[in-house]
Amino acid sequence: MAINLRGSFVLDEVKNVRINIGKIVEEEMEWEEETGPTPKPGIMELRKWDRRLLERYEPFYAPMQDFCNLCTMGPCDLSGNKRGACGINLKNTKARLVTIACSIGSAAHTAHARHMLDHIIEEYGEDMPIDLGPDVNVEAPIIRTVIGIKPRTLGDLREALTWAEKEIVKVLHSTHIGNEEDILDYESKAMHVSMADHVGMEVADIAQIVAFNLPKADPDTALVDTGFGIVDKSKPVIVVVGHNVMYARPVADYLEEKGLSDKFELAGLCCTSHDMTRYNAKAKIFGPISYQLRVIRAGIPDVIISDEQCIRADLLSACEEMAIPLIATSDAAVRGLPNRNDDPVEDIIEDLISGKTPGVFLSEPEKIAEVVPKVAEAVFKKKQETEMFLTEDQLIEEVNKCTQCMNCVFTCPHSLRIDQGMESAQKGDFSKLASLEEVCIACRKCEQVCPKDIKILSVIMKTGLKGLLSKTGKTRVGRGPIQDTEIRKVGQPIVFGQIPGVIAAVGCTNYPDEMVDLRIILDEFLRRRYIVVTSGCHAMDIGMLKDEEGKTLYEKYPGNFDAGGLVNVGSCVANSHIAGATIKIANIFAMRPLRGNYAEIADYILNRVGAVGFSWGPYSHKAASIATGFNRLGVPVVVGPHGTKYRRAYIGKPWKKENWWVYDIKTGKKVYIEPAPDSLLLAVETKEEAIVQLAKLTIRPNDTGMGRQIKLTHYLELSKKYLGRYPDDWPIYVRSEADLPLRQKEELLKILEEEHGWKIDWNKKKILEGPIRPLDPGFNPTLVEEVYDKYSRKK
Amino acid sequence: MTKVKKEEKYPVAKRFDIADIQVSREAQAVKPEVVARLIKRAKRPVLVTGGYLLKEPELVEFAARMYEKGIPIVATGGSSKPLIEKGVNPLVVSYTLHHFTQYMQDEEWQGFDGNGKYDLVLYLGFIPYLLSRMLSSLKHFAKVTTVSLDQFYQPHAKFSFTNLTRNKEMHYRMLDELINML
Ligand code: SF4
Ligand code: SF4
Repeated sequence: MAINLRGSFVLDEVKNVRINIGKIVEEEMEWEEETGPTPKPGIMELRKWDRRLLERYEPFYAPMQDFCNLCTMGPCDLSGNKRGACGINLKNTKARLVTIACSIGSAAHTAHARHMLDHIIEEYGEDMPIDLGPDVNVEAPIIRTVIGIKPRTLGDLREALTWAEKEIVKVLHSTHIGNEEDILDYESKAMHVSMADHVGMEVADIAQIVAFNLPKADPDTALVDTGFGIVDKSKPVIVVVGHNVMYARPVADYLEEKGLSDKFELAGLCCTSHDMTRYNAKAKIFGPISYQLRVIRAGIPDVIISDEQCIRADLLSACEEMAIPLIATSDAAVRGLPNRNDDPVEDIIEDLISGKTPGVFLSEPEKIAEVVPKVAEAVFKKKQETEMFLTEDQLIEEVNKCTQCMNCVFTCPHSLRIDQGMESAQKGDFSKLASLEEVCIACRKCEQVCPKDIKILSVIMKTGLKGLLSKTGKTRVGRGPIQDTEIRKVGQPIVFGQIPGVIAAVGCTNYPDEMVDLRIILDEFLRRRYIVVTSGCHAMDIGMLKDEEGKTLYEKYPGNFDAGGLVNVGSCVANSHIAGATIKIANIFAMRPLRGNYAEIADYILNRVGAVGFSWGPYSHKAASIATGFNRLGVPVVVGPHGTKYRRAYIGKPWKKENWWVYDIKTGKKVYIEPAPDSLLLAVETKEEAIVQLAKLTIRPNDTGMGRQIKLTHYLELSKKYLGRYPDDWPIYVRSEADLPLRQKEELLKILEEEHGWKIDWNKKKILEGPIRPLDPGFNPTLVEEVYDKYSRKK
Repeated sequence: MTKVKKEEKYPVAKRFDIADIQVSREAQAVKPEVVARLIKRAKRPVLVTGGYLLKEPELVEFAARMYEKGIPIVATGGSSKPLIEKGVNPLVVSYTLHHFTQYMQDEEWQGFDGNGKYDLVLYLGFIPYLLSRMLSSLKHFAKVTTVSLDQFYQPHAKFSFTNLTRNKEMHYRMLDELINML
């Protein structure tokens, strides 16, 4: 119960003493949980936990460059791990670079959160309660665990945000020349700043859910149109692009208020579109960053509103080429445009319509709301009906210019055989060119090196237009948090292993191959009744891929957090609910206290919660910090092959017995365990490999016999299906015959005996000798001494 | 298949991605006979196969023939499946290229069979940018000799076939020639 006892008190006699008591009293009254060891941790507080992880999951570096030129003593050749003028070696420069990347990602979400929170508080007041619906009592699991507070109001979120901002600056400081010399210290800082990222994301998403009344843990949200072909071009089309819905929201409101919603099309690119649909399910989702140039070059938008993050840095020129007025709204991406906040709306509209200016910077919500529809309408009226991308004649003309010099191929991030496509097209077969659309990320690099100035991207899109238009389906609107009641239901089956795992498909679209692979991968796990959680670009991409029956995964699987459920939490910042769900399992199911108790919770998750992150096409810095934040929380992450360009991975070495141990609280002994999970950050090359690695990485030391049996059944089946035989390392995950898949039990026992020298009692079909450790139903693992002490004492 | 004739000009060793530039050494572009010599001299050679084998059956054939000549195969990326169907018994099937590259950087690691370090690692059938990163890692942090047999010239390998993207036939002929020399 809240007590109204807020405020500052200045004691008469002691004039310089001010006591702020209200908040503390309220918190203590409402939250009986004892404060754990690390509320608002600084860089040093969780270093010990990080080292535990990093000693086991040794950092791996794959340099993109072997030189450093970050200061004026350089450039320095660091090849072969040499040291530069400042003393830093190659590995350490990579660790520093990863720390910088994670800091950028973290700063992006946190600045987004700051902007959003300040505005929202200004609009709704700091006392607006945090209410995430009747089924969410653990409202901010990350903030509770990291900061050690239980935020009740929007104002309370400031405390968490201030902490995150401070830590980001501190970590960024450490990347200055002449600081760290140990890679593990940089990695620890990368983890620290990425944990701050998770706090920033949680603040941003809670604030917008509460203030804008976005769905509150509703598993059955609306299905919204998704894909390239979604808009009705007989209406003016307003397109929003970016990650911060603060600026697009007033437009939706304005249209509603004026009764114009049905007269306009409002569609988005990237996460703003997720948040738009969470705000107003009439909005539509075009697609991810790789759809920006597709949509613009097709001439679909009548006006574009850009905000921040993952927006192409040539957006203005791309819009200019197509005579689409651009309204930049975030001070993070002003795009060289004039600031028109102080000008009358009519003048801004006039300048945009007449083309006097290709775009404006405008961040006043009311003005944006008024300018955008009027500009869209006027541009729409002026617009001539044209063919998308190119006319047939233009297409042939472009194709015929190609000399097969292959400059484009050696520039394309996917080495796409544009030359071969052009050659076939010159002979009349356009199918090869059309197929490139499936893999092309629309980066336009090829066009810049083509000596014949061929509009390669437009050629690819024009020839692949049919396929592009067919990628149109439905996305279930982001639901935000996972309900406490859902966690209560699945907590035990996840921890014991009966639900084989949680696969969290998160991230960007730099896929190695066709987008459809993502659907195939996730469908495999959904059919096997894993829980699949998704957000951001992955969540919208599966919304545009239909099966033979014309259904997207959202139409095939329910949206609840349960076995076989497909849960879209929402935009990038909604990723916090995925991390939050793992934390809630520790809290709601296992009653582990959260308050300032990060290491214990992460240790719980690492040893017990079979959740795995999956980013099939990561490219952004935000994806780096999201993944690294998950890693610190004990959640392994699998990335697609482009993910190796982050330069760092965390890969354990299973043969090093000394690295794989835990304390068993039950027996009071240090126990050597199977390497589960064997990596924290790992890249895979193909969908086949992704599926098998994901299945393996859900295995946890704490699995019960039944749980391990289920997980091994999937791991073995999937390996056989996709790799052609059982995985090489399955025996190390067997603790007893109870762990073995029932159907193959005899066969597997035989393999263990004949190929691995294990002793088997064939009468009882029991394993007598062989496993790393026996299965112990009361096994209670931890890597943290303090946790061991705490629970041993309790016993 | 006919041998690549002496007088036939090998294409220039152009990087698969022109921006993948380093200041230190770049791979020596080699002909099949040089690779054959390296294999003969090696104590523990191994062939690593990648995901392109799922798309290019010719590569499966070549890998299977190398296996028949006694070179063990570390099959990654799902390449094991078509190889097993061809009668190959790969050394391992479920470790990724990433795992393998990490393991090779450990002084103590004695190979998947525990019989000792690999001294020569041949690569066939990889997404070029993925292999590039792994080869870069080994170039800087390990002592192993790496050879790319892919159609893309790989600058971070110790040795690599030249760039054969324009001429797949020549790529196949070079692989054929190499295998015939073993
Ligand atoms: S636009 Fe497409 S084809 Fe061109 S370089 Fe980028 S990915 Fe390759
Ligand atoms: S760079 Fe231009 S001319 Fe050369 S192959 Fe590519 S499309 Fe053809």
